[in-house]
Amino acid sequence: MEWPILWRSCAVDAAPPMPSETLTLRHVTKRFGGVTAVSDVSFDIPPGRITGLIGPNGAGKSTLVNMIAGVLTLSEGDIRLGSRLLSQAPAFEVARSGIARTFQNIRLLAEASVLDNVLVGFHRLERASLASHLLGLPASWRETRDLRARARDLLNRFGMQRYAEYPAGGLSYGHQRRVEMMRALATQPRLLMLDEPVAGMNDVEAAELGDIFASLARDGMAVLLIEHNVPFVMRLCAEINVLDTGRLIASGPPGTVMRDPAVIAAYLGTG
Amino acid sequence: MGLGVYQSLFDVFLLNCGFAFSQFIVLRAGVFSIASAAYAGIGGYATAILVTRYGVSAPVAVAAATALGLIVAGVLSIPLARLRGVYQAIATLAFVEIVVSLGFYAEDLTGGAMGINGIPKLVGTGTLCVALGAVLYLMVAIDRSGLGRAFDTVRQDETVAGSLGISVQRSHAIAFIISGGIGGLFGGLQSLYVYSIEPQQFGFALLVSMLASIVLGGRGTVIGPIIGTAILTALPELARPLAENRPLIHGLLLIVIINYLPHGVADSLALLRRRRRAANAV
Repeated sequence: MEWPILWRSCAVDAAPPMPSETLTLRHVTKRFGGVTAVSDVSFDIPPGRITGLIGPNGAGKSTLVNMIAGVLTLSEGDIRLGSRLLSQAPAFEVARSGIARTFQNIRLLAEASVLDNVLVGFHRLERASLASHLLGLPASWRETRDLRARARDLLNRFGMQRYAEYPAGGLSYGHQRRVEMMRALATQPRLLMLDEPVAGMNDVEAAELGDIFASLARDGMAVLLIEHNVPFVMRLCAEINVLDTGRLIASGPPGTVMRDPAVIAAYLGTG
Repeated sequence: MGLGVYQSLFDVFLLNCGFAFSQFIVLRAGVFSIASAAYAGIGGYATAILVTRYGVSAPVAVAAATALGLIVAGVLSIPLARLRGVYQAIATLAFVEIVVSLGFYAEDLTGGAMGINGIPKLVGTGTLCVALGAVLYLMVAIDRSGLGRAFDTVRQDETVAGSLGISVQRSHAIAFIISGGIGGLFGGLQSLYVYSIEPQQFGFALLVSMLASIVLGGRGTVIGPIIGTAILTALPELARPLAENRPLIHGLLLIVIINYLPHGVADSLALLRRRRRAANAV
């Protein structure tokens, strides 16, 4: 039992994360009582590129992300990853199918160290059985040891190794964002949803992260970027979807979308 | 004389540690269950009845008590899965009350208010040490495993846990069932240590002392419950004249600790050490 498991966890390291698949949203609708927060939204989030989602405050962006993540149930429509229907799946099953996210308001385990925060991200890849966890069998502690090493690699990649033992809650805002991102990446996702990942960062920090997002997409990951920073979105995204009052008012390449009169009116204001 | 007193105090400490770990494991996973007193009662009565009435041997009776704790907790975890926080506390408190009243009213089985007397004393310091050692091993194994990481995540943020593929319900149920097993085990051992049991010893007072030892010691590290129990067991003995007022001391200690060391003694120390190490590193 143990050897194939070890082999598998090593293999994941070497190979690209997982077969890439497109996330498709079809007629996705969410009503809270009488209020329709998201109405009849359809678009695709294909692998290998960054798809943007923008819109003014209250447009329904976070509601949409929460529906994809399985935190909110859909009132209508469906969401699929490849051929797998995720509309009714609870959050942990959505995560296990390969969808990771960061949160608009950073959510770290404040008491735990940076390393431990990243380590929990590997949960989806854990293969040791419940019995081996309870009995402290080698399968369990070897797995912990291997994953700890991989967590350190991830820290190195983000230039965070010297904060490994630091309590995550005590880090600066920008560093906390990085920890959240490392945790999401630790799940080896097919789709990564970034909810305002560079909010509150300066342009240099934002550009650094932008390069990381671009390289993830190049490696075959599907990335959904929700962001207020329009130049940032324009620079990174191959396609931008614009939400306003719960409806999708425009989709397409950045240049086209940003010239769309409806977008200018809704998002940038009519002046 | 002296040594015997300390030994029995040590035995009480070992028993209380066991109970404290039954409470610890659920809190660690973010389940606000206070059902451990009930598991202790179930295990205690099961063992006493099996030994005094059916002449079952001690190891078998204690094993049965443990199994019963596991099963009852497993069943109880189903209706409790949807509850959180204070609602879990109230529901499990109701369960404790049910077990205590069964002790009172199922007289044919439990001896009612008189309890069960004349239980042979078949458990000594050695057995208690072995049992606690086994529980400690389990706790450390969980602590160092993915299961411990899942528990910690669920406790701190259920939404994050879900977003990482951790099933909150499963984690809660596992913690709950382990808690039941440990409670049943130490309830059974206690029965074979104290000669007689009665319903009210598994009621509110036990529940409060279990909770107090975790709040005092800390719920994030395995050493926490041991420190908490040691303080709670030793203090009334050190302040002999106050021993009668144990609940009062518990209460006062809790108020002081919650105010000055909100994470408990062990967790606060661990946090301090981590901060210091981090400060040196950065």
